[in-house]
Amino acid sequence: MTPRTRATLEFVLDNLVWFMLLAVLAIFSLTVPNYFQIGIFANIIEQSSFVGVMAIGLALVIIAGHMDLSVESVGGLSAMVTGILFCGAGIGMGIVLTPDWLMVPVSLLIALAVGATVGAVNGLLIVKVKMNAFIVTLAAYIWVRGLVVALSGGRSAQDLSPAIRWIGIQRIASIPLVAWIAIACFVIFSLIMARTPFGRHLLMIGGNQAAAFRAGIKVDRILIIAFVLAGAIAGLSGWLLAIRTSGATANLGVGMLFNAFAAVVIGGVSLKGGVGALPGVYAGVLLLSAINTAINLMGLPAHFTQMIHGGLVLAAVLLDTLKLTIKQRLA
Amino acid sequence: MKRILLAVIGIAALAMALISPAFAQSKGKVYYMVPTLLDEFQTGSVSALEMFLKQVGYEMQTLNADNKTDVQQSQMNDVIALKPAAIILAAVDFNALKPSIEAARAAGIPVVEFDRQITSTPSDFTSVAGTVEIGYVAAGEVQRLLTERYGSVKGKVLQVLGDPSDPYTLDIQKGFEEKMAAFPDVTIVSLPAMQWEASNAGTIVSDQLLANPDIDLIFNHAAHLSVAAVASLEAAGKKPGEILVMSSNGAPVGLDLIRKGWLQVEVEQPLYAQAAAVAMFMDKIVGKQEIKPGEYDVLGLTGTLTIESWGPNIRLPGAAITKDNVEDPAFWGNLKPPASAVTSVE
Repeated sequence: MTPRTRATLEFVLDNLVWFMLLAVLAIFSLTVPNYFQIGIFANIIEQSSFVGVMAIGLALVIIAGHMDLSVESVGGLSAMVTGILFCGAGIGMGIVLTPDWLMVPVSLLIALAVGATVGAVNGLLIVKVKMNAFIVTLAAYIWVRGLVVALSGGRSAQDLSPAIRWIGIQRIASIPLVAWIAIACFVIFSLIMARTPFGRHLLMIGGNQAAAFRAGIKVDRILIIAFVLAGAIAGLSGWLLAIRTSGATANLGVGMLFNAFAAVVIGGVSLKGGVGALPGVYAGVLLLSAINTAINLMGLPAHFTQMIHGGLVLAAVLLDTLKLTIKQRLA
Repeated sequence: MKRILLAVIGIAALAMALISPAFAQSKGKVYYMVPTLLDEFQTGSVSALEMFLKQVGYEMQTLNADNKTDVQQSQMNDVIALKPAAIILAAVDFNALKPSIEAARAAGIPVVEFDRQITSTPSDFTSVAGTVEIGYVAAGEVQRLLTERYGSVKGKVLQVLGDPSDPYTLDIQKGFEEKMAAFPDVTIVSLPAMQWEASNAGTIVSDQLLANPDIDLIFNHAAHLSVAAVASLEAAGKKPGEILVMSSNGAPVGLDLIRKGWLQVEVEQPLYAQAAAVAMFMDKIVGKQEIKPGEYDVLGLTGTLTIESWGPNIRLPGAAITKDNVEDPAFWGNLKPPASAVTSVE
C-alpha cells in the first residue's frame, strides 16, 4: 500500500461517519419522495439540535471513562422548570421580567443551574463516594423524571413567553436559530477538548485514570466538572426543547437517551473512555436525524417504524465497528 | 435512647389509634391501577376517581405502572394479595392483563375496567367513552370541517398517532379510518409520535408541511401533541386556522388552544362522567349485586349501560369541543369538578 493510499484510507476511516452521512443523504434524496429539499435539510439540522446538545455532555463523561444515563431526564426537568416559570397557560406561572429580553438569559441560567445541580450530585456520588456511575446515573434517570412528574402533577405547561419562544422561530441563512445554538455548542466544546488542558486531561483520565493521577492531574476535580458540565448541557437541551414545543409535558424528551448514546458511539467515542472527538458526534446526530426524517417521509406502517429505526442505527454502529477493525489492521 | 424509642413507639401507636376510626367508617379500600402519570387525562382520572369514590364512602389507593405491562401485572399480583374491596384497572396492554383480571376475580375481588375496554375476559363493570367511538366522533368533525372549507369532504389529513404499541391510539385510528373510508377524496397520512413524546409530534408536522404542503387538517391523538404541532406550525409561519387542527382526550391544553384559535375541535373523553359512573355503581360491584341495563344520568350525560359478553358496560358519549362550547364547566379540561356529590345507584 503506498503512503498516499494509506493516508487517504486513514482520512476516510477517521471521518467515516461524515461519509456515511453524505451517503445516507444521497441515497434518501434519490429514493424518498420530497426528501431532497432545503427545508428538509434545515429540519434535519434543527431536529438534531436537541439530541445533539444532550450528546455533547454525554460524550464528555464517556470520554472521561464514565457514564451518564440521567441526561434525558435532566433535559426533561429543565424543560419543565422553564415551562412552569415562563409559560402562561396550563401549570405555567407566566413570570414576566422587564425588559422582556431579560427572560432569555434568566431562563437559560435557571435551566443550566438545574442541570448543573443534578450533575454535581451525580459527580459527588461517583467521584467522592466512589459509587458506580452506571447505577448513580440510572437512579438519577429515574428520580429526576419522577421529580418532573411530582413538580408538574402530570400536567403540562404551555404557551411559552414570546420573549423566549422567538428563539424557536428565528432563522439565519434558512437554518433555525436553535440549530445555530447547537452548532455553536459543538464548536466551543470541540475547541475545549482539542485546545485546552481540561480537554486533554479528560482524554488522559479516560484512557488511564491511575496514570493521569500519577502525572499530577487533579482527576477528581476534572471528573466532577465533567459531570456538572454534562448536567448543565442537558439542561440547555431541555431549555431548547421547551422553546421548540412552546411548553413542557411530563414525558418531554423521553427516548432521547438512546439516540444520544447511538450518536456518541457512531461518532467514534469509545465506551471504554479515552478516545473520541465531538465533531464526529455531531455527524452521528445528523445521521440519526436524517434516518428519522426519511422514516417520517417514507410513509411506512407505524408498527414497523421502531424496528426500522433500531435496525438502521445498528447498521451505522456496525459500520463504525468495521472501521475500528480496519484501522487496527492498518496499524 | 430507650426513652426516645419508647416515646416514638407511643406516638406511632397514638397516630394509628387516631387513623383507625377513619378506616372503620370507610366501606373499603379500592385500588386504582393507572397506566401512567405522564398524561394529563390519567393524572386527572386519579383525582376524579378518588373524589367520587370518597363521596360514596370508599377509600382509593393508586398504583402507577409507568406504561410498563410487566409492572402492572406485578402490581395486580400484589394488590390481589391485599384483598381490596375492588380493583379499578386502566390497562397498559388490553390483552396482557387478562390473566391478572381472571386471577383477581377468582380470588373474589371485583374488577372494574376504566377507560380502556377489555373484551377478552369478563369484568364486573366497564366504564368507557370508547376509544373506537372517539375515532368516530373525530371523523365526523373532520367531515364537517372539510365540508365547511371546500363544500365537500375532500382534502389531505395528517393523523399523528401516539406510540404505535399503545392499543389506545390504534383503536382511535381504527375508528377514524373506518368512518373516513367512505370518503375516497380524503387522503390520510398517518405517522406515530413515538412514546407519545410531544417533540416527536412537532418533528412529524415540520417534515410533513414540506413533504405535503397541501395538508388541510392535522389530527393529533392527544392534546399535548397538538401543543408541539402548533409550535411547528407557528415556526413555519402559519397563522391560527390556516391549517385545521384537532385532537382527542380533552386535556386543558387542548381547550387553551381552541381559545387561541389554533385548534378547531377537541374530542373530549368525558373523564368526570366515566369516573362518576364507577363510583355510582361501586356498591353494587362490591356487593356483587345485579346491575340492570338501561340509561343512566351520569353528571347530566346519558350513559347507556348494556350487558355484554365481558360484563356490564356503561358507555358515556364523548363530546366535540369547539370555540362555541369551550367554556362549558362539564368538560374536564376546564378543571371544574362537579359541585354536587354522586350517589350510589339503588
